[in-house]
Amino acid sequence: MSDITRRNFVKVLGTAAFLPGAATPALALAATESVTPATTNDVPVYRFFNAEEVAFMEAACERLIPADEYGPSATQAWVTNYFDKQLGGAWGAGERLYRSGPWQQGTPTQGYQLPFTPAELFRAAIRAINAEFTAQGKRFATLDGDAQDAYLKTLQAGGKELGDVPSGVFFELLLKMTMEGYFADPIYGGNKDMLAWKMIGFPGAYANYYEAIDAHGVAFVREPMSIGSDGHGHTHVDPNIPASL
Amino acid sequence: MTQTMKAADVVIIGVGMVGSIIAKELAAAGYSVVGLERGEPRFTVPDFQGPGVHDELRFDIRKALMQDNTREAVTFRNVSSQTALPIRRWESFLPGTGLGGSQVHWNGQTYRFQEQDFVLASHVRERYGKDFLDPELRIQDWGVTYAELEPHYDRFEYLLGTGGKAGNLKGKIQPGGDPFESPRSREYPTRPMKEHYSGAMFRKAAGSLGYHPFPQPSSNLSEPYTNPEGLKLNTCVFCGFCERFACEHYAKAVPQTFILPVLLKNPNFELRTGCQVQRINLDSSKTKATGVTYIDTAGREFEQPASLVITSSFALNNVRMLLLSGVGKPYDPATGQGVVGRNYAYQTMSTVASFFDKDVIINPFMASGASGTLINDFAGENFDHSKLGFIGGSFIGAVNTNGRPINYHPVPPGTPAWGKGWKKAVADHYNHTVMFSVHGSSMAQQQNYLDLDPTYKDAWGQPLLRMTFEFPKNDLKMADYVTAKGVEIGKAMGAKQVVGAPAKGPYTVTKYQTTHNTGGTVMGADPSTSVVNKYLQAWDVPNVFVVGASNFPQNATWNPTDTVGALTYWAVDALKKYMKQPGKLVSA
Amino acid sequence: MSARDAVRLLAAAVLAALPCSAFAAAAIIGDAAAGATLAAACQACHGAQGEGLPTAGFPRLAGQSAVYLDKQLADYVSGSRANAVMAPLAKTLDAKKRADLAAHFASLSPPAAAGAAPADAQVLARGRLLARQGDEAKQLQACANCHGPDGRGESFAAPYLAGQSASYLTAAIGEWKSGARKNDGGRLMAEVAGRLDDADIAAVAAYFQSVGPLP
Repeated sequence: MSDITRRNFVKVLGTAAFLPGAATPALALAATESVTPATTNDVPVYRFFNAEEVAFMEAACERLIPADEYGPSATQAWVTNYFDKQLGGAWGAGERLYRSGPWQQGTPTQGYQLPFTPAELFRAAIRAINAEFTAQGKRFATLDGDAQDAYLKTLQAGGKELGDVPSGVFFELLLKMTMEGYFADPIYGGNKDMLAWKMIGFPGAYANYYEAIDAHGVAFVREPMSIGSDGHGHTHVDPNIPASL
Repeated sequence: MTQTMKAADVVIIGVGMVGSIIAKELAAAGYSVVGLERGEPRFTVPDFQGPGVHDELRFDIRKALMQDNTREAVTFRNVSSQTALPIRRWESFLPGTGLGGSQVHWNGQTYRFQEQDFVLASHVRERYGKDFLDPELRIQDWGVTYAELEPHYDRFEYLLGTGGKAGNLKGKIQPGGDPFESPRSREYPTRPMKEHYSGAMFRKAAGSLGYHPFPQPSSNLSEPYTNPEGLKLNTCVFCGFCERFACEHYAKAVPQTFILPVLLKNPNFELRTGCQVQRINLDSSKTKATGVTYIDTAGREFEQPASLVITSSFALNNVRMLLLSGVGKPYDPATGQGVVGRNYAYQTMSTVASFFDKDVIINPFMASGASGTLINDFAGENFDHSKLGFIGGSFIGAVNTNGRPINYHPVPPGTPAWGKGWKKAVADHYNHTVMFSVHGSSMAQQQNYLDLDPTYKDAWGQPLLRMTFEFPKNDLKMADYVTAKGVEIGKAMGAKQVVGAPAKGPYTVTKYQTTHNTGGTVMGADPSTSVVNKYLQAWDVPNVFVVGASNFPQNATWNPTDTVGALTYWAVDALKKYMKQPGKLVSA
Repeated sequence: MSARDAVRLLAAAVLAALPCSAFAAAAIIGDAAAGATLAAACQACHGAQGEGLPTAGFPRLAGQSAVYLDKQLADYVSGSRANAVMAPLAKTLDAKKRADLAAHFASLSPPAAAGAAPADAQVLARGRLLARQGDEAKQLQACANCHGPDGRGESFAAPYLAGQSASYLTAAIGEWKSGARKNDGGRLMAEVAGRLDDADIAAVAAYFQSVGPLP
């Protein structure tokens, strides 16, 4: 019988070091495990957001999902990069959104009733937020964490408009897309190196559990696999980049 | 300039589950059948293959397989005094589109309704007296009985290869199955699915409380199976990407795996995709359909003449088609007169979350869409309602269908929505939580209905369907009652914390709660309260048949698909008779 | 020991706690060093480094999932996998020795063995299509769904195919097809193999051989 009980095993796996201040996560899966860096650039290349928008987004998302010992922060997971690619793409431009008027506010049960596409919504709201801070001689990105949280909570509470965008609507979409960027397959530009999946133990896109489902209550430990994973264990973030074969 | 196509015996609107089965049967019987599908053709290879199909963002969040709201949405309001506004993005329900229809991305949960469901109005009167029912409700008998449908349930389940354990074989209760089910003539075609850990825990706990747990009937196959059409389905591997996703393994029973290869080989059948049917055309008497008008993907208009028109699109779209075509009198909730659009109902959904310590490892990502363990002790009419003040019920089950992290990262109440506390809670609870589904009936009431919107239009310039719906008080009482029972089961499982979340009003379209939209083209014995007769033939236009969940007078506890399948084969028999001798199958 | 092996051994540790499953055979963590000693007896057929002997159809074992290898040995013992040569050999090994051997072979990563016959471009293209996409007319799904990208394997689900010899793969698929081999759960491979004709079997076998061993 093996010496390694489940408890020992979890300890052997160790936890990833996602401590604040780490520029890139130092992941320790097991003593001999190494993680091949997946992407070809060290920082995201933003195409939709300008520099001031990036500054707000990275700072805001970092408050939504901060750095700690459990898993990556939004910055470590490249969440803002996810936003950038979504808002700059078809979905940001209004794919799958019924966009005809007339426009009425409606009840909360009737859902989103604004004319903005997601891209327009973010542009307008962030422009207004940045202008608000500039008028006070400040920047959101350089506030301390508590002040940033307090500001985000006022947005979340609603009752304020950001260039015609109700702040509650903006905040809801910001939070929702932060979750997407954190947990989606890394081909979309977030969930970098699948660190968010590693945090919770989600194995990813290759998923045959026919045998493993019988092991009731047993930890399932496998490197997560992305849609963009190739045969060498590399993840191709842009699905248009072919695998090595 | 409308081009007129060569006449066919039959034209079918919508080539999903219902349309595929009807088309196959009528084409095999020698009739010329044209199937008009508004969406694209798609097949397991290449369209459903992994790893690309296992993309939560694309299929689950962005709803890539669903009807495109940009072109065709639905407007919604809770009550008639409000203005209905467009559902600009789907959340609450997710109508499908494309060859194979919504079934391509269903969960495979396959339950029959019970005997009492088909005669609910009579049953409630007999059992509880005529004053028991909330006067706002509009429940009706179906005009067809379970016994009449039983052979068709059987045929449909054998077509799909549904797996399960019979609980009642010809009246004899069987151990291991659902003792409450109505009698079946034979065992399921395949064995039950393997049980997930959460199901095993549920089974022990529910059994300890004296309930009767049984394996969820599943059309994600538990073993290789060759169906009566000669098509083979494979074993489900519990990938956890079932509902909202197509199956790469040929393991989920969908038209592509259980019938389309046979249908598409029959030269009597012609499939035309990318064809948006605009209306059923009627002659000057308005009692006979001459065919349909449709527009192709290049925007050209065509007329397809046919002797028989069948609308077998998604339930909501069946209703809209009749309204746009002038088949049947539209329902007016103010007067209670009219029939098309009446008795719209839905599903009343509640949950129970059981949180465990970190040494209890659940692995929610290992899942099929239908490998749960359930009890029907509080479903339908299986329990005595006389002191409870409501009718209907819910099944309760550990129905773990996925652990896809964008949508599924449960946290206990009181957890902040973001920040450090949120993150710790996610890490602590993702793999240590069991969610129960408390899946409940939905009664019809006078003020819930469907009609055409006066303002908003689709991409072809036609009015959108307007939905007016609020949860009946009856259903919310039912949800409260059964959710509390579910919480007891969670506690009996030894969870650290158990949280019940019963369905609450007001109904909102912003939260997913099944795509089980029913009613609007109700079947029945009385033309003043139904659109189609018991054979699903339109009372007003005998050469139009309407088949789908739109026929349900109210929705029962369970998912609709098996019953829609039974109605489909039931209709097939009637259609074959009709084609031999056209005319009214029921004199009203 | 390579990174993949560490994960595999840890994974095997996890499965050590299995109450009952097809992987109950992997109830023991193997000792690769002890396995190395035992493996001397395997070299004549499976090569000095477990690279296999393609000309004879003896499979590459190097770098294969330890859980998978252990199970195959156990299945030879129980008879749920039949082979006139392997069965008596496996029966000489107790559970610990089987686990040790599995751990040993899992830890190896030699280059591909010589002697594998190359295939022509058209055959490889067909194999690649089946591996990555499948064939609707034959109701065949892509191999990658279970066997991973480029056939690199999927832990606890399916062994690697990449770099395995075409000769062995051809024989193995033949055994699934004939029913001589039926030791997978859910009869997944029997269904797949039953839909492959000889040309397609040759194509997928050639393709995965051409991919070469993956890290």
